[in-house]
Amino acid sequence: MSPHRGPGRFGVITAFLLLGTAAGYPLTVLCLQAVFPHLLSGGFGEIFQPFTEMIHTEGLGQLMGNSLAWAGATTLLAWMLGIPCGWFLARTRLPGKGLARLTLLAPVMTPPYVGALCYILIFQTRGFGDRILGIPEPIREAFFGFGGITLVMALSSFGYVALAAETAFCALPPRLGDAARQLGATRRTVAYRVVFPLLLPAILNAGILVFLDTLSNFGVPAVLGTRADLPLLPAEIFRLVTSWPLNLPLATALSSLLCLFALASVAATRRLTREANGKGERVFQIRRISLGLWGNVWAWLWFGLLFICSTGLPYTAMLCMSLIENWQESGPTWTFNHYNALFRAGSGGRDALTNSLRLSLGAATLCAGAGGYLAYVISRTRSHTRHLLDALGTLPRVLPKIILAVGLILAWNAPWIPLRIYGTPAMLLLAYISIYISDALNFGAASMSRMNQGLETAAESLGAGRLRVFIQVVLPHLAPALGAAWLMTFIVCMRELVASLLLLPPGMQTTATFVFNQFEQGDLAAAMAMATVTIGLTTVVLILFQSISFFRTKDS
Amino acid sequence: MSTLQIQAAEVRLGNTRVLRGIDLNVAPQTCTALLGPSGCGKTTLLNVIAGAVALDKGSLYWGEQVLDLPAEKKFLPMNQRGFAMVFQDFSLWPHMTVAENVAFGLKIRKLNRSDRETKVKDALQKVRMEKLASRKPASLSGGQQQRVSIARALAVQPKLLLFDEPLSALDAKLREELKAELKLLLLETGQTAVYVTHDQAEAYTLGDQVALMNAGRVEQIGAPERIYHHPRNAYVAGFLGAANVLPYRQQNGRLEIEDIGHWPVRKDFPESGLCFLRREDVHFETVGEHLNGTCLINQFLGSHYALEARFGLSQILHGHGKPGLKPGTPVRAVCDVHKFGFLSPENSYV
Repeated sequence: MSPHRGPGRFGVITAFLLLGTAAGYPLTVLCLQAVFPHLLSGGFGEIFQPFTEMIHTEGLGQLMGNSLAWAGATTLLAWMLGIPCGWFLARTRLPGKGLARLTLLAPVMTPPYVGALCYILIFQTRGFGDRILGIPEPIREAFFGFGGITLVMALSSFGYVALAAETAFCALPPRLGDAARQLGATRRTVAYRVVFPLLLPAILNAGILVFLDTLSNFGVPAVLGTRADLPLLPAEIFRLVTSWPLNLPLATALSSLLCLFALASVAATRRLTREANGKGERVFQIRRISLGLWGNVWAWLWFGLLFICSTGLPYTAMLCMSLIENWQESGPTWTFNHYNALFRAGSGGRDALTNSLRLSLGAATLCAGAGGYLAYVISRTRSHTRHLLDALGTLPRVLPKIILAVGLILAWNAPWIPLRIYGTPAMLLLAYISIYISDALNFGAASMSRMNQGLETAAESLGAGRLRVFIQVVLPHLAPALGAAWLMTFIVCMRELVASLLLLPPGMQTTATFVFNQFEQGDLAAAMAMATVTIGLTTVVLILFQSISFFRTKDS
Repeated sequence: MSTLQIQAAEVRLGNTRVLRGIDLNVAPQTCTALLGPSGCGKTTLLNVIAGAVALDKGSLYWGEQVLDLPAEKKFLPMNQRGFAMVFQDFSLWPHMTVAENVAFGLKIRKLNRSDRETKVKDALQKVRMEKLASRKPASLSGGQQQRVSIARALAVQPKLLLFDEPLSALDAKLREELKAELKLLLLETGQTAVYVTHDQAEAYTLGDQVALMNAGRVEQIGAPERIYHHPRNAYVAGFLGAANVLPYRQQNGRLEIEDIGHWPVRKDFPESGLCFLRREDVHFETVGEHLNGTCLINQFLGSHYALEARFGLSQILHGHGKPGLKPGTPVRAVCDVHKFGFLSPENSYV
């Protein structure tokens, strides 16, 4: 009998209600719909018909093949670009490492679909590339095809691989290499018999996450895949849900296929993580090698080239596009008109910006608050309840957003829902929370796992009630993590594309749909101006946050 | 003839001189224990021998072969020295089985498969681990992992075996067991070894010679008994608090120690200086004249009572007490004048 009371039954029930509404309910409806195609009209006929239809759909094999090949190629390229960066950061005395790390983080601030749009601006006929250099036709063809779509996605994800590789290199005890050197091994033998096998789990893990992220990415296939005439799973599901003739059952069947890939990837990472752990938590003194002058130059060329490709070029294209009035033989003429139009009262752009800001602020605040409480409840609940809550809290994070969005459409459009939420702005808020609450929960859970339960027991032993324990003991400890969760949710909501496209009420826009729609309709300048404003705004919020936490840590 | 020779070895890390001129010889088929508190430079010295740290000054030879000679910019990399090391944290490769760990060095030496298997089996048998050969290190206890680590080093029959506090990560009982086993193993195999430890008992058990280090220098080197009974200076005598170090003066035909008492003069001692007195050579009496001390603590330690008494205002004397002696009881110190040892102040670096 444990003397510890924890969050109690009230907490567990609240957690189930929250996570059930956010993830459990829509995903259940989605799965049922895939099995019973007439579920929403109240019938249970034609069981499994969507799957049969899917299997007989022409080009299904190619669709899956494309998706898997694209995700695989992106992973390989991200490895090739990212692992050297990780090695430079962890094992060498490269000067200016802080800056190098920053160049890896910069692409994170760019939504992949914006990156894809910017590259289109560079590579399209009469685009920036043509104006300045002249793009040879074979290169253009390669870009608007498998190569380009892989490159764009890898450039947005190699930074993650690099940072994961750095952590892995640092976590590797140098003693293990010494032990091999002692027994006569050369540096090469040490590298491939000791270092490589030990790094493998972490590197594979990072690769699987990139694979999963690519597979479930909607923006890049929607923007570039359609132009490259390369059908990919998420874009195809989107087409089935939004374009005539609608085919919801087939969309749900394809979604469950995508789900399956996602869950298989997650199972693989779990296994790998278990294998990679179990080594010490100790901190090692890492010996770093000097690269010498030329080595440093090469390393910086590597970081520099990657920075130019991942951030420099796309941002330049984005800024130029938003600032150019027209481009004659003599050169471009510049203007601020596109920005003025964006901020003019009553303009679509201004409305979109306000909508996004409101929704993001609301979603971030609710996610951080609820995520913190959920993390507390889950980490302090024992028994099977915990596993169930854990699973419910993990699903939205690992499943492709488009799947959750489709599930939400079905779930809140169902005849048994008395309230009309679907088709109102509240639906979008609910969608953002459903999609991102598990990320916030994850931040909170990481922080909870580092908190000694004795602190709560101490408060309880002095007579504090549950609420007081949570507010006065747990919450102050969670605060930094929840701040980070708030910031992360705000940033990703400001750029959320797929759920916004699927769930927005008619006539309403967010920044992301504005960028997407304006670009599709040919108003490239307006799209790029909005992209610039959104990225600028989120970056300012990020920097503000960083400087606040910087000064706070300095004070204490 | 000595095999490993270190002369005037100096190492700097940043602005600190970690080794400040070390001379050390290791004879074949002997074990040299490097003993000292943490931060004394013993691990750095071991790393210098291993080749993980390069000398800034001095020289390191194996017989005629140069291992490290900074004056001529000569340095033999660690994988060409033919030594093997046993680490405090075991440092077994977690992705290999026990047998693969032990076979690693043999593969590097390009032994064929059957020879390799025989040697792996031999080595594992020596440390009684042959039954767990196919296990992964993570599934073994700390003591088992360290046995494997020892087998891995022994398997290649290294010219020199280096131990870096191999027993520190183990619990007390296991440490005692493995210490005895190691001693036997070293005797049986005739393995030349250098053994780093901060534990006096380990150093005395395993070392044929013990080098007591302090602040980057060797304070004294010699057989364990010699160091114990004839410490060169106050540091060596007082290491781990094993002896009382006391100032004395000889006058009027008596050897006087302030506040404690006087004994017949020692002709072999100078007029005044520092002397030391082992704890086990001091006893306390509660009867008779001159009960000039006061018992502070009388602690039961199993084999004996450890008593600490104060004489005068601040003179503290450690020795053996007896049952039932309560704190606050007046006592006097009893010891043989021949048990006193003289400490030369010149030998002290302090």
